[in-house]
Parts: sequence; structure tokens; C-alpha cells
Amino acid sequence: MRPRHPIAVLVLLLSVAVAGTGTAQDPAYDALGLRPPLGLDSPKLDEPPAETPLEGDELDRRTEEITSLIRCPVCQGLSVADSPTDLALAMKAEARQLIAAGYSEDQILSYFERSYGEFIRLSPRAEGFNLLVWLAPILAVLVGVWLVATRVRTPRSATEETSVESDPELEPYLEIVRREVGS
Amino acid sequence: MNRVALILGALLVLPLLIFLAISFRYDPRAIDSPLVGKAAPTFSLADLDGHVYQLPESPARPVVINFWATWCQPCIVEHPVLLAGARRYAGRVDFLGIVYQDKPQLIREFVAQRGAWGPSLLDPGSEVAIAYGVYGAPETFVVSTDGTIVERITGVVTPQALEQILGGLL
Repeated sequence: MRPRHPIAVLVLLLSVAVAGTGTAQDPAYDALGLRPPLGLDSPKLDEPPAETPLEGDELDRRTEEITSLIRCPVCQGLSVADSPTDLALAMKAEARQLIAAGYSEDQILSYFERSYGEFIRLSPRAEGFNLLVWLAPILAVLVGVWLVATRVRTPRSATEETSVESDPELEPYLEIVRREVGS
Repeated sequence: MNRVALILGALLVLPLLIFLAISFRYDPRAIDSPLVGKAAPTFSLADLDGHVYQLPESPARPVVINFWATWCQPCIVEHPVLLAGARRYAGRVDFLGIVYQDKPQLIREFVAQRGAWGPSLLDPGSEVAIAYGVYGAPETFVVSTDGTIVERITGVVTPQALEQILGGLL
């Protein structure tokens, strides 16, 4: 592409050194004596943070909460919060930076969704075909309750008892049973 | 009663089974990237010698961006394909390698041993890899001169795929 000369890097290093900023470091860059800002030029999010910036314990807590909603792309059903893989750790660090800057849960999920698609959400949005996942368990419980209620009542119904006793073919056997139980 | 229960049960269970069967069939890396057809995230990254390379909003030539690593066996398989591609399209297409979660020393050794088809750029914190929705190495993105991602290839790039995609852009 467009190689800039090492002088450009030197200027970059000097400007960072003068500014004294402490952006996230990468060991690979440290080894080369390079300092960020290098990386994405595109803005991660096009809108301003929707919430207030966080720090300390609250930042840790929100980072755990939000990253538990993000799927680790290289794992089987694990969230970014639970995965020890390098990619998940990198995603967690990004989420933490965004939360610290005041971005909301929706904004952060949208940021990852822009790159990875809806697959990145551990809980799919409750819309369209996805509604099946949310509604089916409720329906199953309702139908189960209805089935139990109706089936529990049926054997006690008088109709069933009458129909058995009124069968003349069964009468001899019923008589034996009555004698056995002493009724 | 039993027939009603059976029908209701089937109505509830069958859609779920179909849903799960469809879902589990997916290889996450085979899911279409939402970035195809959209503007490529722009970046500035340094190679091992400190040269900074930039993907601008509208590159002068089509760009092949390949995320690779020395520990990735498929990357070793596709290395000759990219070497040949970079030679064939020299001056017409730019090839950029972004090293995915690797160590500078290993990258140096790899390139010294096998040759380079483009700069090996370091990606601090996998920031650019995440912006491109990378699942693992190798993954390749082709960016047109208007800055749009026209293709994403997961796994080993073949000469045929490269020719087909780049042929459509040149």
C-alpha cells in the first residue's frame, strides 16, 4: 500500500512521547519500540456515548455483565466473559474501553454485531423467526399445565366408572375383586 | 385425549428441533460476513521494521488483506498462493498481511524462511481483526478502489478464487 517513511514513525513516537499519553500497549509493539496510536482509523462507533463513563469496580462489573452477552467467536457456546481465548480477551478489553468511555450495552453489542453479525449475540433479538426461541418454552409450559389439569380430572369422572361397572362381561371379575377387598 | 396431546407436543417440539438442526449445522466461519458490500474499516498498522501502512477510504488499487499467523497450518498451505498472486498482480493489486495473534520473532523467522508476499503488519490488541469480524486465521478480504469489501474468504485462498475475484475488479 502506501509506506510512510520511518521519519513518519519517528514523528509519531515523538508526538506521543511529548503528549505523554498512555494508550493500550501491545507487547509486539513494545518489542519494536513502537507506540500507538496505530490501529483502526475508522471510528468504532458513529454516535456519542449514551451513558456516563465508568471506572473502578463499577467498570469491572459492567464489563462482566456486557461481555457475558457477547459470544466468543472461537468457542462452543461460551461468552466472551467466560472464555480464556486470546480473541475473547481482546474483545473483552475493547468492550471495557468502550464502557469506560460511557458507551451503553446496546451500543457495544451493535459495534460487535457490525463486524460479526447477529451470531455474536448470545441471546438473539426477540423478533421474527427468533421469537420461536422465546415463545416456545412459555407455550410448552402452558400446554403442559393444561394437559396435566385435564388428565388429572378425567379418571375421576363418573362416566368412566359407570362404563366399567355397567359392562356385563366384566361383572364376574368385578365380583371377585369386591370379594377380595371385602366390600 | 392422547391424540390431542401428541399433536400439541409435535407442534411444539418439531419447530424447535428444526430450528436447532438448522442452527447447529452452521460453522460460524461460514456465516456470511455482514461487512461484505460495506465500507472496509480503515487502519494504519506498522510492519516489523516500523514502516506504517495505511488502508485509506479509497485505495488507489484493489487491496487483498490477509489475516495470517505462523502457528496456523492452513496459512502455510496458502502462502505460495499469495506469493504467486502478489507476483502476478504486482502494480495492479496491493497485498497486505495482518498478523493475527503472533510474536515478532516468529514472524521474522517465517518470512525469512518462506518469503514475503506483502508487508506483515502487527495488530495491537487484535483491534483491526475484531473490526473485520475475524474468527481465526487465515481469513482474506478483498477491498475495491471505492473502499468496499467485495469478498471475504475463510480458510485457504485458492488461485482460482483469487483470479475470479480480482479479475472482476481489474
